[in-house]
This record gives sequence, C-alpha cells and structure tokens, in this order.
Amino acid sequence: MNMVPTIGIETHVELNTNSKMFCNCAVVETENPNESLCPTCLGLPGALPVPNLKAIESITMLALSANCSITKNGMFHRKNYFYPDLPKNYQISQFDLPVGVNGSLEIILNETKETVEIERVHMEEDTGKSVHKGSGRIDSATSTLLDFNRSGVPLVEIVTKPVIKSSKEAVSYIEELRQLVIDLKISEGKLEKGNLRFDANISVAKESDNELGVKVEIKNMNSLRSLEKAIDYEIKRQTKLIESNEVIIQETRHWDEDKEVTSSMRSKEGSADYRYFSDPDLPNMILTDEFIDNIKKTIPTLPSQKRDKLSETGLSNSESNYLSKSEEWIYNLFLETQKLTNDTKSTFNLITGELQGQLRKAGMEKLPEWLTSEKLSEIIKMINENKISFTSGKEILTNLIQNEMSPSKYAEDNNLIQDNDSDEIAKIVKNVIDSNKEVVERVKDGEEKLVGFLVGQIIKSSKGNINPSIAKDLLLKEL
Amino acid sequence: MKKDIDIKSVAKLAAINLTETDEKKFEKDLNIILEHVDALSKMNIEDEEINIHPLGEILNLREDVSSEFLTHDEAMSNSPETEDGHFVVPPSLD
Repeated sequence: MNMVPTIGIETHVELNTNSKMFCNCAVVETENPNESLCPTCLGLPGALPVPNLKAIESITMLALSANCSITKNGMFHRKNYFYPDLPKNYQISQFDLPVGVNGSLEIILNETKETVEIERVHMEEDTGKSVHKGSGRIDSATSTLLDFNRSGVPLVEIVTKPVIKSSKEAVSYIEELRQLVIDLKISEGKLEKGNLRFDANISVAKESDNELGVKVEIKNMNSLRSLEKAIDYEIKRQTKLIESNEVIIQETRHWDEDKEVTSSMRSKEGSADYRYFSDPDLPNMILTDEFIDNIKKTIPTLPSQKRDKLSETGLSNSESNYLSKSEEWIYNLFLETQKLTNDTKSTFNLITGELQGQLRKAGMEKLPEWLTSEKLSEIIKMINENKISFTSGKEILTNLIQNEMSPSKYAEDNNLIQDNDSDEIAKIVKNVIDSNKEVVERVKDGEEKLVGFLVGQIIKSSKGNINPSIAKDLLLKEL
Repeated sequence: MKKDIDIKSVAKLAAINLTETDEKKFEKDLNIILEHVDALSKMNIEDEEINIHPLGEILNLREDVSSEFLTHDEAMSNSPETEDGHFVVPPSLD
C-alpha cells in the first residue's frame, strides 16, 4: 500500500523593527523581563493600537517577493483566545483580507527546481513569553512566569498550501524563506533566537485515495533538524495507524526534542473557534498603488534571481543554491572572480572549499579588504596554467589571508613555481629510475601502485617544483 | 425565523458558566439578535463600495520610532504576585 504524505508549513517571522507593531515600545533583546512595556502591549483597558509603517512596508516587500497578490483594501481582525501570555485575550491578526495571497517560492531540492505555493502572508503581533514552573511544559506547570517584552513585536505569518511532500522539501522551503527575509533585510532570520518559528500540518493518505488524510499539527520544532525529524516521525506514525486500520485524530501534537517523538497536547480549549471579528480600533488599511510601487523599487536581488545569475556561469542548481544562501560578499566574490578566470569549477571550489575553510580556521568572518577577486583569480590562473601546484595555491592563500601581497611574487620568492621544462625534468626522471632499479622492475611486472612512489621520488628530488602530471607522463614514457 | 444556536458551546467559547435558566434566556436573546442581523442580508448592496469600518476612516500608520512609556516598576505595580521581574499566574491548564 503506497502512502502519500502531504505537508503544509506555517512560519512566523519576527520583523527587525525598532518599535513594536502597535505601540512605540522598543523591540528589545534583554534578559531582564518586562522592561519595554506600555498600556497597549500590556493590554490595559483604553489603550489604542497604532500600526507601525515600517512593519507594513516589510510585509508588503515580503509578499511581493513571494509572488503574492497584494490586498489593497485590507484590515485587521481580532483572534480571540484565552492564554496568560496574551493579556488582551485577543491577538491582533488578519483573517480574510491578509496583505498577500496566492504566492509561490522557488526552492532547490537536490538538483531540481520546485515551487512551493503560498496561500497567504499576513501581519500580526507576537505574544509574551511564558516560563512554566515545574516541568517546563504547560500541561504540568505549577505556576507560570510572564515576560511581556515580546508582546506586540511585529510578526509576519506565511502559510503554504498543502503541497510539500517530504521533510527534505520542508527544510529546503524554510531555508529559502529564511534567506529571503535576510536578503530583504526585514528580519535577522536567526532560528536559534526565535526570529523564525514554524509549525507543520501533516497528513498521510493512501495513494489510491483522491483526498487528503486527517491533518495533524506539530508544534515546538526549534531547528531545521527537529523539523526534519518531527515530520519523518509523524509520517511514520500516521502510516502505521492507517496500515492497521486505526483512526487518526485531528489534533495538535508536541515535538519532544529529547525523546524524538510527537505527543498529543492536552489543551483545555481544544479546537475552540477563535471568533475572529474586525478590530474596531483599526480602520481599513489601504495600500495604494503608489505605496506598492515604491516598495517594489526597494526590493534587492532575490535568492532565486541570484541562482539564475549563478547558473549562467555553469554552476549546477545545488551549487547555485549554496552560493545564493551564502553571505552577500561570498556571492559577489564568486561572480567577480569567475568573470576574471572564466573557470567556474575551480573558482567555486577554491572559494567554497579552501577560502571559506581557511577563513573559518583563522576565525575570520569577512575577507580582508586586500583579498580581491583579482588576487584570487591570479592564484587560480597559476594553478590552471600548471605554474604552481594546488598545494602551493593553498599555501599562497593562507598567507594572503594574513598579509597583503602579490600571489605571483610570493610564488617566485618562495620557489613555488613548477619546473615545466621537460629536459630538466627528464634528467631527474632518469636519475630516479637509475637509483630505484628494483622498484622499476616491479612496476614493469605489473605493480602499478608503485608508479605513485616513483612520481613522489621525482617531486622530492625537484624540491616540489615539478608539475606532477608532466613528471608522471615522462616517467611512464621512460618505462 | 428560528436559528439553531448551541448555547452551551457559545458559553464555553466565552468561558462563562450559565445556569439552565440563563441558557434559556440567552438562547432567546441571541435568536432575536440573529434575526435582526439577518435582515441585513436581504439588503441590495450590489452597487455599494465595500466599507469595513463604520466611520469609513483610513488607517493611520506611525513612523518606526521607539520611546519609553512605563518603567519596569510601574509596569509591575498592579500585579498581585511577581517573581524575578515576572508576572506570576496560576497554571493555565488542568
């Protein structure tokens, strides 16, 4: 029996505004609870919300970048529920008129371009933070401590259609969305700080059934790793139930990071209706054509556009995807260097392999200003023209990271230039053959492994200045 | 026109306890309200523009500038119980 999983993802993105969504309180990063508060974000009676322009600009930019249609005549709704971290007993959110609808994001899955359809992009406010005393979990807490610093921080919720087919695709989608909000500079996009939080709706159905199975919502996944594991676990759990003809209950389940299982959340409210109604404190939100056009002008190069540009150099989809999700300077350095070397593979390998590795080792986050695309291309060209070995190239790079210098001059000064003069190499080859007669005989008898040993001897006698491939060619000719 | 109202479910959503007498009274009241609102759906509004807010006002947006309003102590001053700078509330689930 073939089973088909279907997944939809809801993501909350915390915007990086200075002030909260509906009041002037600063968005703060502090360990001290309840420092940035006013009557509005504390839900005190009589306080009136006034929306943050920057937040509306940010969500419009995100919705446009995710190919959504923009709701020009939109509004805010109250989503009613009782919970200690929500002091008004309602969250200001959007219901049937969200800022963006019917969008899509391109993702790369393995080497293939896929499209994840987006149902809606809407604006809302964050809740406070609860610390449950006792077990740490709400359903067995002895009391709850509340910090409202986060209450009212602008949140954008992005909801996909139920179109995702695997945990890997879900992870790719989140990575893409994360890169998008970083490139748009509307959020820090740090998962570990909770800037991006996601829930997954998962259902499994028999392939022969033409409709979706019963939907189960999974919460509390804090990393891409837990997203992947939780989805895989839930697909297996539901598949087992279906195969043994048991009923899947529509419910919210909690991902337990330590036990790596999902468990039912025994919520007292159950699936209570949120009783949405339009917020009378917040009149119609009109997004004019002029407003939307101005936002369009400020949209930077998007990750998918970066990939298109990278693909033109001959990179594969996954290589382009990797660079589109690297820092801006790595992306630019690759494009500039590739233009100079016209050698896509070597440039990609040197930058993403050696250079990034060495920078990490040196504890550097950025490139020193003298390490330009010109200098990098000089190293790549020397390697490609067999003037220096790849090992010497790495050595030059190590020094170039520390000091400003000319790669070619460094190669000359440190005797790294390979001897490509065949007559000179021929002499050394002959010497090595003469002094390793026994090994030579064994090679002739078929022990081909030993060729490497002889090539090593040749390079050693030349103090590393001989191009190994030329040396090997000459050696084989002599034998 | 009589509507089907599940008064128990409405009470549950509103988190209020109703006696049987209350239930009967509110069921009747709610039905009157619904009938009244129902009259609106009979209006011909084809040529009307959509207006969400009763005053037809357009939302004012404010610049993203932060300012301080309450000090920590002021914010906490009405709370019956605090701990390490937090508000303390009883457990919210059974």
